[in-house]
Amino acid sequence: MDFNELLKKDHIILDGAMGTMLQAQGLQAGGIPELLSITEPEKIINIHKSYIAAGSHIIYANTFGANRYKLKERNVEEIVKASVKCAKKACEGTNALAALDIGPIGQLLEPMGTLSFEEAYDIFKEIVLAGKDADIIVYETMTDLYEVKAGVLAAKENTSKPIIVTMTFEENMRTFTGCSISSMAITLEGLGVNAIGVNCSLGPKELYPIIEEMSKWTDLPIVVKPNAGLPDPVTNKYNVTPNEFAEYIAEMNKFGIRFVGGCCGTDPDYIRAAVKALEDMKPAVIQKEIPSAICSPANTVTVDMPRIIGERINPTGKKLFKEALKNKDIDYILSQAIEQIQGGAEILDVNVGLPETDEKEMMTAAVKAIQGVADAPLQIDTTDPDVLEAALRVYNGKPIVNSVNGEEKSLDTVLPIVKKYGAAVVGLTLDKDGIPAKAKKRIEIAEKIMNRALAIGIPKRDIYIDCLTLTASAEQSAVMETLKAVEYVKKHLGLHTVLGVSNISFGLPSRTLINSAFLTMALTKGLDLPIINPNIEAMTGAVRAYRLLAGHDINSSEFIEAYGSTEPVQIQGSHAEHTLEYAIEKGLKGEAGEITSALLKTKTPMDIINEIIIPSLDKAGNAFEKGRIFLPQLILSAGVAQEAFEILKAEIARSDDKSIDKGKIVIATVKGDVHDIGKNIVKVLLENYGYTVIDLGKDVEYEAVVNAVRENKCRLVGLSALMTTTLGAMENTIKLIRENSLDCKIMVGGAVLTPDYAKSIGADYYSKDAKQSVDIAKEVLG
Amino acid sequence: MIKLTGINKAEALRYMGYNKSIDLTDIEPLLKSCERELLSVIKPRYCYRIFHIESRENMILKDCSLHLSGKDIRAHLQGCDKVIIFAATLSAGTDKLINMYKIKDMTSALILDCMASAAIEQVCDMAEKEIKENTGNMTWRFSPGYGDLPIDLQSDFIRSINAEKLIGLTVTDSNILMPRKSVTAVIGLSDSELTKRRKGCAACNMADRCQYRKRGEHCGF
Repeated sequence: MDFNELLKKDHIILDGAMGTMLQAQGLQAGGIPELLSITEPEKIINIHKSYIAAGSHIIYANTFGANRYKLKERNVEEIVKASVKCAKKACEGTNALAALDIGPIGQLLEPMGTLSFEEAYDIFKEIVLAGKDADIIVYETMTDLYEVKAGVLAAKENTSKPIIVTMTFEENMRTFTGCSISSMAITLEGLGVNAIGVNCSLGPKELYPIIEEMSKWTDLPIVVKPNAGLPDPVTNKYNVTPNEFAEYIAEMNKFGIRFVGGCCGTDPDYIRAAVKALEDMKPAVIQKEIPSAICSPANTVTVDMPRIIGERINPTGKKLFKEALKNKDIDYILSQAIEQIQGGAEILDVNVGLPETDEKEMMTAAVKAIQGVADAPLQIDTTDPDVLEAALRVYNGKPIVNSVNGEEKSLDTVLPIVKKYGAAVVGLTLDKDGIPAKAKKRIEIAEKIMNRALAIGIPKRDIYIDCLTLTASAEQSAVMETLKAVEYVKKHLGLHTVLGVSNISFGLPSRTLINSAFLTMALTKGLDLPIINPNIEAMTGAVRAYRLLAGHDINSSEFIEAYGSTEPVQIQGSHAEHTLEYAIEKGLKGEAGEITSALLKTKTPMDIINEIIIPSLDKAGNAFEKGRIFLPQLILSAGVAQEAFEILKAEIARSDDKSIDKGKIVIATVKGDVHDIGKNIVKVLLENYGYTVIDLGKDVEYEAVVNAVRENKCRLVGLSALMTTTLGAMENTIKLIRENSLDCKIMVGGAVLTPDYAKSIGADYYSKDAKQSVDIAKEVLG
Repeated sequence: MIKLTGINKAEALRYMGYNKSIDLTDIEPLLKSCERELLSVIKPRYCYRIFHIESRENMILKDCSLHLSGKDIRAHLQGCDKVIIFAATLSAGTDKLINMYKIKDMTSALILDCMASAAIEQVCDMAEKEIKENTGNMTWRFSPGYGDLPIDLQSDFIRSINAEKLIGLTVTDSNILMPRKSVTAVIGLSDSELTKRRKGCAACNMADRCQYRKRGEHCGF
């Protein structure tokens, strides 16, 4: 029997717990059950056989924790092979299938943790290859959607076996890492797995709402493999009996479940009882329409009303952004992401293409970093298929691809990538002849794109059409053609629509007036996904007002939440009585920008820095040293100075004045260490004194520090370590810098360091706090 | 299920390096809003198992592969016949919030980080109280990395109580717990009265570089 054959059954029965059975037979808590496949294979085979005898159609091999990380120096291949062999042996002479069972690696993935996506892929690939004799691949007890994605890709790219994924949810309907059920479902269905569901987590009864929710979001067969209730901390016994378990399982039939088994605390009795309870039941058939949606792990955005796509992560026409890309300044991009979400963006377009920079490297770095701080789903915006694939690979969730168009070459290269990674896609209504002037031709292209996408297996709900905004000042008559096309595509093709709005007003005065009017016109014609600058209140406000007026914003609650408490905003000069010195001292962040702009009328940026910012910061630094203010207040002052700096930087970018740069400093939290608060504080302070800080982040490889110092010809490096266990990495980093005979001084800091220790590992300076790092920088760089 | 309704402010301020002569008036609103936001993302979870001490000599636990080595843990468990192997976490949402603020506003990031450190201790205290209702006399929490109890026990520790599955706790190659604001600890259990053992700087391997001692204070442990 194979998997497809099996799917013809009403219910497919999985097995119950392996660990529970082994612990009952003497395996210690904390012991490694996978080793028994080699030392006592008969024991494992017998457990498998007892499940098959109880009615299991699929048994899970004893490979749950058999990964490189958990097995440490032991041989993964040998253990996986032995375990799969046990399972296959037990299946002999029966119709049962053996699944390669893969659990979480046991390390948190980046950006929260330190395990990279690529390394996770390798770890899974190793298991998948070693387990090639299994019939099915199962990922279970997963809590991190990113880890699951690495696993699914490893399985799909190295075998052609069916894949089942079950994750573990809590009562709040989320996994430990915050992944929602909808995000899991739409991401994994997009990636092309064969069945999804839930295992472990809670007892069977507590899973009802989770299964019910999951069935709304997928057409895939649903799997349920609950625990036998909760364990007792002393006896480790579970509190739900086989009969109760079976009753609960039978009850879940109404949600259309197809695969059923047991997790922790269950044994063959539970499986037998479940088989009996489901005996005469047909799985419920549920009529549903899967919503059009995209997601990050924690946030599913349904396209059932206009949703705002933020356009600001894009270097076109932005000097500071281009500068940031050249300097690989990811933090700048992150601040743009956060600002837009605060402004009201629900999806973020990410475009980091710039000649003379490595777009692929920048795109993957940006995608990874943004998903570490923001929950908004992303729209990957690039014209290079290589960059696109790299970005989709490391994206955690279901993104939008921007874009494909009606040209054959585009359709042939982009759509297969979209399909492989299960993204939604924007189709631009242009082809080799450019943008058609008339709506009719654009609609034809939209139809062509739709048909080609459908043919490759991309569902209709994932195709968004961009009818293209032309500039009103140049082609006034084209404006209504665009809107006509939007209306037709929405109504007659039944597709969602997207439009970049801002382009409409190019070359005209008072652009916001034009933009917001055009936006509202388009919304009434059926625009679903306006791409706008969400930081402009008139734009975000137009979308929110539309949602209220069109009846999407029920009881106007979203609108009132956004605007109900705000005082009318007035740009005024009322802060004139506050000086920049005062704002820095008092931590008045909101005022710094305005005061600085006013100061620029009479002073040069350099004068403002030297005469006001630095003396004010020195004053705060002194107060800090004397214990009159404490660290949060010092950082607050630095934050205000930073606001002022942003204004000055923009001014300097305009005037191409390089005089602000007092020298470059590389800083990093050393390899293995993830404590970066201290390092970030140092960065803020150094930047405020006019130094350019190249921040390599946390958990930084030795070579990365050396390369950064060399590339930037830095004369000062700051290294931070917060753990006694990572001091070795600090020493190694210093050693490598010295070995490469780079002409730079090294300062080190962190709670576990002492001046003596700093000296002993070869550092030039020990910095006891952020303030002192500035003193050191002054000494070294001036 | 533990629910935190407030952060131990005095403790959090101490982590921030506060002393009594500092005027908090200007920063008070920020402290308040940080506390509110932190409380909204914290999802305290803990898990534990109780094991009998089979051999005091080598600190072997019955039915458990975890080996508690070193003289300090032996001294800590004097008079105990059982141990609680315990783990608690504020969960991943806390890390995410702090990471977001590292980009948006470092002051808030610092405050949140210190508040979260205070919060995880509060969670541990509350968990201990709950556990105590069903058990006997308890020692204080002794964590890997403290005294000569090796920090590289972390992965065995997590494994022995299934903490990855139960509360989502993991550990990096350099023995850092993830999510960041988490605690693992050994608590001794005894039916008879336990003599109070002093926690203090003498047993601490940070004693010579401790920032609190430098200020003439004490970490409270």
